[in-house]
Amino acid sequence: MTQQEDDRPEGRRGDPVGFVIAAGLLALAAAVAWDASGMGAVSSYAGIGPSAASWTVAAALTALALGTVVSAVRGKIPVPEPSDHAAVLTILAGIAGMIAIISFGGGFIPAMAVLFGLTARGFGRRALLTDLGIGVALGLFVYLGFTKLLALSLPQGPIEHLF
Amino acid sequence: MLDSVLALAQGFSVALEPTKLLFALIGVFLGTAVGVLPGIGPALTVALLLPVTFKLDPTGSLIMFAGIYYGGMYGGSTTSILINTPGESSSMITALEGNKMAKAGRGGPALATAAIGSFVAGLIATIGLALFAPWLVEIAIQFGPADYFALMILAFVTVSATFGDSPLRGLTSLFIGLMLGLVGLDALSGQARLTFGVPELLDGIEVTTLAVGLFAVGEALYVASRLKHAPETIEPVRGSLWMTKEDWKRSWKPWLRGTALGFPIGSLPAGGAEIPTFLSYTIEKRLTKHPEEFGKGAIEGVAGPEAANNASAAGTLMPLLTLGLPTSATAAILLAGFQQYGLNPGPLLFAEKPDLVWGLIASLFIANVMLVVLNLPLIGLWVRLLAIPQPWLYAGILVFAAMGTIAANPSPVELIMLAVFGLLGFVMRRYDYPIAPMVVGLILGPMAETQLRRALQISLGDPMALVESPLAATLLAIAALALVAPLIFKGLSRFKAEED
Amino acid sequence: MFRSLKTATGAIAALVMAAGLSTGALAQDLELKIMAPAGPGGGWDQTARAMQAALTESGAAKSVQVVNVPGAGGTVGLAQFVNAKGDGSQLMVNGFVMVGAILTNKSPVTLDQTTPIARLTAENQAIVVPANSPIKDAKDLAEALKADPAKVTWAGGSAGGTDHIMVGLFAKAVGVDPTKINYVPFSGGGEALAAILGGKVTAGVSGYGEFEGQIKAGKLRLIGIAAEKPVPGIDAPTLKEQGIDLEIVNWRSVVAPPGLSEEQKKTLLEAVDKMVKSSQWQETLKAKGWDDAYLAGDAFADYLKNEQVRVAEVLKSIGLVK
Repeated sequence: MTQQEDDRPEGRRGDPVGFVIAAGLLALAAAVAWDASGMGAVSSYAGIGPSAASWTVAAALTALALGTVVSAVRGKIPVPEPSDHAAVLTILAGIAGMIAIISFGGGFIPAMAVLFGLTARGFGRRALLTDLGIGVALGLFVYLGFTKLLALSLPQGPIEHLF
Repeated sequence: MLDSVLALAQGFSVALEPTKLLFALIGVFLGTAVGVLPGIGPALTVALLLPVTFKLDPTGSLIMFAGIYYGGMYGGSTTSILINTPGESSSMITALEGNKMAKAGRGGPALATAAIGSFVAGLIATIGLALFAPWLVEIAIQFGPADYFALMILAFVTVSATFGDSPLRGLTSLFIGLMLGLVGLDALSGQARLTFGVPELLDGIEVTTLAVGLFAVGEALYVASRLKHAPETIEPVRGSLWMTKEDWKRSWKPWLRGTALGFPIGSLPAGGAEIPTFLSYTIEKRLTKHPEEFGKGAIEGVAGPEAANNASAAGTLMPLLTLGLPTSATAAILLAGFQQYGLNPGPLLFAEKPDLVWGLIASLFIANVMLVVLNLPLIGLWVRLLAIPQPWLYAGILVFAAMGTIAANPSPVELIMLAVFGLLGFVMRRYDYPIAPMVVGLILGPMAETQLRRALQISLGDPMALVESPLAATLLAIAALALVAPLIFKGLSRFKAEED
Repeated sequence: MFRSLKTATGAIAALVMAAGLSTGALAQDLELKIMAPAGPGGGWDQTARAMQAALTESGAAKSVQVVNVPGAGGTVGLAQFVNAKGDGSQLMVNGFVMVGAILTNKSPVTLDQTTPIARLTAENQAIVVPANSPIKDAKDLAEALKADPAKVTWAGGSAGGTDHIMVGLFAKAVGVDPTKINYVPFSGGGEALAAILGGKVTAGVSGYGEFEGQIKAGKLRLIGIAAEKPVPGIDAPTLKEQGIDLEIVNWRSVVAPPGLSEEQKKTLLEAVDKMVKSSQWQETLKAKGWDDAYLAGDAFADYLKNEQVRVAEVLKSIGLVK
């Protein structure tokens, strides 16, 4: 992930994205600082307690937020390449669907089918039913391999109880 | 030392019995097969396969363990290279260059240099284990918290090698990683940090969940987002499937340097397998004749860290066998394996059960050979996986990423973290933030903090304790030098440029 | 990606498994699910899997499934387990560590909400010093602690765990303020052992098994064990014999969900009783070096109550629980 896209254009001056990122970093710093302030003094022979690292991180994140503001003003925030948001959202829907199915006891196999089907769709496939079918097969295969051969427990739902 | 050689020969006569060879082969095979599953590192692999060995005799079962252990270590790197999904934290660095190589059609050489590098490293480190274990271990236990802290600082210096071209964005990534490292119960005081009342967060953030989320899920989202505009083309094979002469030339030194880092650090009771891979990556990046390739798929960046990873695995066995010290999760499970036969590794094991110990060491050599024999022919098969149509390939990657995550920890909270880290990885890719520093921060942050506070607690708050040990002072000096040297070189070269 | 390879693996693994894990006669048709509230490989997981083998092989149950729910000293698993109200087919492995974790993690669910079944195993807790230490016995250690508690550094397991509690109890027993102890937690047993061997700390506390090899090799000196009476095979006096009133064992037990009928409880008690008395279980104990500490039903329930009170007191006096 390093040094990629050297040819990316430099950003524009005062790019609002930079301020959003800086605000995000400040929010993280505030959360860490708030958490650290609630820890109270822990008596330790080390002289520093668990909050010392928190304060350090909070201070550094604040400094980085300021640095990001400066680089936004100077126009140093890279301009992202155009993105197909529909594809990203389709895959995220697949992930969310998978988590929901597992959380509500739908079981491992349907969850994997939804994840597989929607991810393939996000990548441009237009045969959702086929892909769901492949997902079921893959999920079943993994499920049996894990639970029967490795004795690992995977989330169970109505389908998994058949085995 | 002559005694050791004779004992080792005796060990080979045990390990070369046909049935024992079969156990080693099964072990290597199972270890590789389970180890390639993303999110499932060697520790879980060995834990899962432990019951398989229950009914074997002790020697046979331990030999199978050795195979599983090495197989699991190797399997982890395969997924890193092919699908950017590290199975364990120590193969995270391998993914950096390895996956870039795979996408450029050089997956074959990447897997080959990983396999052969692991072999070379495993071989040298196992020889080291056989010959020097008793002495090295005496040195290793002299390492105190201050020395470890200095080692962590040295490792931190290496993070900058993964920063890319913007220190600001690199540091941002690193500190978000350090922040994630705060999450959970503080090791020294039991105080909960950044858990916000969620009990699942008390154990902290799993490194593999972060790595798989950022690398695999983030990558899938990013590639999908670019599909319409600039579709990614993956070529399974471009040029040679096998390593070229040039590849060999560029690999052999990194293998040896990686081994030299991995074995000693791995044998330290709190050294770990990650730090040598970070150090190796940094050194290779500094020494390479092709710095422009780093970040785009430099073979040195696969060869060095993989060798370091495997050498440290052999190093870990040293304190385990000679002192009974399990210094990694995998070693702890191996220890449990020993104990199920009423064997207690430690100073007496060598004296009481020489057959078994030397049989095990001999079978490490054999497992190592089998690993390379088994895996080199498989490379062609592995690489062909990249020929799977892109929608199915990435859908399959996400299924295995999700599966690895819940297999290790079956909780929806873990999956939600995976999704959040995936989204974060996507956003970071869009704005050109490097990803590796975040994972490095999560790994090193808690280690460094714990050792620092331990050192201070033992010295009753006296900071001088951090530099009093000559070892710690030396390591800190190297770290300072490594930090300052590039600046000086840069200054010098600028000076020269002006003169010209 | 794993299709072809996994099929082949499946075949081999199936062969190996078939040879290894054939189940015995099926006397009863009890189908059990045992939760190990920890990841695979740890002590609770090993206990659950050993129970699985012994229960099925002795015929005390028809089938047993082990489920791992790791997290927060077992309290994540506990919170999930108490939801199975009135389900007589579930068990959960737990132990001394969970009693403390419930308090330090401020878990909303406690062991009071479970149905205690039986204590199964126990491990003796030991105190050691490096072989070249001037401290020869528990009295020397007590003197050193009284002289300056800050200078006596202790290495042991995680903060608030069994080892930490034991050091707190030691301080209390010799009349030193437990908040003044200088306890340095280490993650794995190995790291603590290395620190003790390297002489980085004054003393170390852990299960006897962790130290056994080093003691026998003469690298560590065993100061005492915290058992009720001397243990055959362990060559050291108990702390009690040395005048220090400290008794603690690291036990593991098994509990059932809340709201069970008397009959359901009886079925589970009988199954566990049959398992404990089976030769398979006894062999496992021997192989793993676990002491048999079988204590069932109401007697165990009382024991559990006592331990909860005692642990709560110590954790308060160390300052880990307010």
